[in-house]
Amino acid sequence: MPKQDLKEMMKEKAQAVQSVVSEVGSIEEAFRYAIDITRKQGGTVLAAPGLGRQDASAFAAFRALCEQNGVALVKESLRAEIGKLHTGFTVADYGIAETATIVQESSCEDLRIATMLSEIHVAVLPAARIKPNAMALENELKGEMKSAPSYLAFISGASRTADIERELTIGVHGPQELHILILDGDQA
Amino acid sequence: MITTPHSVKEYRGQLKKALENEFLGTTLDNFATAYKTSRAKAFEGIDLEGLIQEIAAGKDASIPCLEELFALFKVRAEAAGVTVHAAHTATEANEIISSIARANGVRKIVKGKSMTAEETFLNTHLEKAGYQITETDLGEWIIQLRHEGPSHMVMPAIHLSRKQVAELFTRVTGEHQDPDDIDGMVKVARRELRQAYLEADMGITGANFAIAETGTLGLVTNEGNGRLVTTLPRVHVALVGFDKLICDLKSALRILRALPRNATGQAISTYVTWITGANECAPGPDGRKEMHVVFLDNGRLALAKDPVFSQTLRCIRCGACANVCPIYKLVGGHNYGHVYIGAIGLILTYFYHGRENARAIIKNCLNCQACKSVCPTGIDLPHLIKEVYRAVLEVEGKKPVKNVLLSRVLKDRRLFHFLLRRARLAQKPLAGGGDLIRHLPLFFSKEHRFRSLPVVAKNPLRDIWEHINPRLPKPRYRVALFGGCLVDFVYPEQAEALLKLTREHDVQLEYPMQQTCCGLPAKMMGENETAREVAVQNLKAIDPANYDWVLTLCASCGSHMKENYAKLLADEADLPVKVQQLRDKIIDFSSFMQNVLKVAPEKFVESHKKVAYHSPCHLCRGLHVTKEPRDLMKTAGLDYVPAKDEEVCCGFGGSFSIDFPELSAELLKRKLDNVEATGAGVLVTDCPGCVLQLRGGMDKRAAGKVKVKHIADVVAENLKR
Repeated sequence: MPKQDLKEMMKEKAQAVQSVVSEVGSIEEAFRYAIDITRKQGGTVLAAPGLGRQDASAFAAFRALCEQNGVALVKESLRAEIGKLHTGFTVADYGIAETATIVQESSCEDLRIATMLSEIHVAVLPAARIKPNAMALENELKGEMKSAPSYLAFISGASRTADIERELTIGVHGPQELHILILDGDQA
Repeated sequence: MITTPHSVKEYRGQLKKALENEFLGTTLDNFATAYKTSRAKAFEGIDLEGLIQEIAAGKDASIPCLEELFALFKVRAEAAGVTVHAAHTATEANEIISSIARANGVRKIVKGKSMTAEETFLNTHLEKAGYQITETDLGEWIIQLRHEGPSHMVMPAIHLSRKQVAELFTRVTGEHQDPDDIDGMVKVARRELRQAYLEADMGITGANFAIAETGTLGLVTNEGNGRLVTTLPRVHVALVGFDKLICDLKSALRILRALPRNATGQAISTYVTWITGANECAPGPDGRKEMHVVFLDNGRLALAKDPVFSQTLRCIRCGACANVCPIYKLVGGHNYGHVYIGAIGLILTYFYHGRENARAIIKNCLNCQACKSVCPTGIDLPHLIKEVYRAVLEVEGKKPVKNVLLSRVLKDRRLFHFLLRRARLAQKPLAGGGDLIRHLPLFFSKEHRFRSLPVVAKNPLRDIWEHINPRLPKPRYRVALFGGCLVDFVYPEQAEALLKLTREHDVQLEYPMQQTCCGLPAKMMGENETAREVAVQNLKAIDPANYDWVLTLCASCGSHMKENYAKLLADEADLPVKVQQLRDKIIDFSSFMQNVLKVAPEKFVESHKKVAYHSPCHLCRGLHVTKEPRDLMKTAGLDYVPAKDEEVCCGFGGSFSIDFPELSAELLKRKLDNVEATGAGVLVTDCPGCVLQLRGGMDKRAAGKVKVKHIADVVAENLKR
């Protein structure tokens, strides 16, 4: 399936799970998106653990941008920050268009905390990494599982429940919003 | 603590109370309606039948080698720092888990939702051992606080109203909670449980998958509590049934494609988590999680070896068999299972929680096939329910009198038919010259008075057959009519209507006189031996090779002969070919008219009579015929108006309506309400059993009665003279 169709499918399916999908042209644009939404919602702390691990220079740029905007950026020992985190900022490993899912290898504990205990989760998804369905990811997933320990997360939308009178309610345990920023181009 | 009645009498008392619970009745009815739509939408564009077959094949490949898969899982997981245990019984599993807690100096425990832990009553065990344990799934937390078991495998608190939850939360938090602010109550749980995660030393979860090739656990959740339970505490224990072991990731992904869609109509659950090995965990020893997986046998390994019941281990706990069950819809999960609820629950109760707990509930099945039609792994649930019932009867050796009588009588066709004729004499004074008995004799208790009963016909079909069925000189088809007891002895006029139509279309009908009851009533009562004997008698009476078709006006007879004869006669060396031939030639009335005779509208008067339709369980799900009767009504010049829940059981279910008259009456009431709401003057159906139930119920209603007719009747009526 062409990349454009996969992006469109991802956007369409995201509506069913109340995820917000946008496209960004660069990682800096994603940084700005995360900072803006954090400020708009009155948050003060942004956690970006996976990013620090992958790309030191990007992280430095992010930190500078955060400082300019009065938002604190944290990336490690996040257990100490539980309760303060507003936005978890991550880069997804894969996307699954059929279900608007992002896939994240989360064996790093800080990455898990950022995506589970923040108020909102902003995930950058490189367009080239969107697959039509989970079956198309079988080999990649198996590869991760074989290099244990591994903690692979499929995330499709915000934490939800329908346990009281079957009424859909968002944000019971995990983040209350999921923003997926599809990053096109070679930056990915 | 969960208690389940051990006797039908006690059970009926409990069911009556449940029927009075209006909130439950409305909630579950709305849920059933919404579920049907959302499930259909979720599977749009997916080859569901193909997917079911693939899942079943994957499960069937794993089930015979669960012990090998366990060994492989253990090697892989232990290589990644996990300790893997096997527990033979529920008690052993609970003890292993409390000893892990002891060894790690645990005090507080948080728990993700796990039916397997419900099965072993793990919480009770751990609390007795002095641990503080908090359920974190919202529904599970609610029922834990209320000291109840789950009433649904996926939605454990579906039986509770927002008002009840608000009262509970007010008590727990000491602050007033507004019942209409569900969002606010969810936030209460968020706040309270957040604290529990942070304080816990140990997290306990179940698992949806245990993938042997990589030693991976798969967890499917919506709330995200499973992720927190497996991340924050320093110890993680997963309690997993042996049946969750599967060979590879591919099988897991295939199941995942069906599980959320079939459970809640979601394309995917919000969080699907795959854990392989002991992951990073700051407070754990050496910064790693202390991780244990406890596999529970508790009878599964024995089940795996059983030729009939091994397929129960295919179950992926989606809960759909409850969602569509007309009985669950009336009485809820606490009255429809023990720990496991729904159709699969009736079966599993016998194997995991014993005969006494299964004894009464196992009888509470209409055999309407609704569960089977939505099972994502293709388990033949209604069949297995009857097999468990049979096993309970055999083991207890105390057969109800009606079983003994039925078996004795059915096996001897002449005696059976003699008694049916005599029944007319006994009924005569009660009918007052009409064709319905409105006042049942006193030996029927008052619960049975919800419907009038028909009178046995003065002249059974077999007696008048030669007079009403002239020979045709050059017929297009030669067709055997399988009457079934009701058409033969109660409603011969349905066959007369059929004859009018077949004569018009140059079809020669024959009525093999040695035919007898199809045997379904015997199977329903767990009397397989009797069912087998009459099946043989029918195969001897009707040689399918002599006919183009074997037509039946009774969907129940038809689907029983098509589906069950092969199972019942599997050991009869001489018969398999005949069974198969019969299977291929059995056809229902509407399909015969529409697809074989291709009846033309020109033959019929366009009466535009407004008719509603009831789709018999054994026609729409047994024989998979749905389009033909609706098309045929239109062909025959009738105006068919759809009714709500057309394909939901009318509540007859043969002997079911005798065992559980209150449930039968309520199902009938809802059915007739839905029909009356259409404004139709006639209710059409194509099974004489449903005619009996629906006509009997309509007769008890106030003025403005809707007429109930077999489809052969209404079609023949409109034939141009």
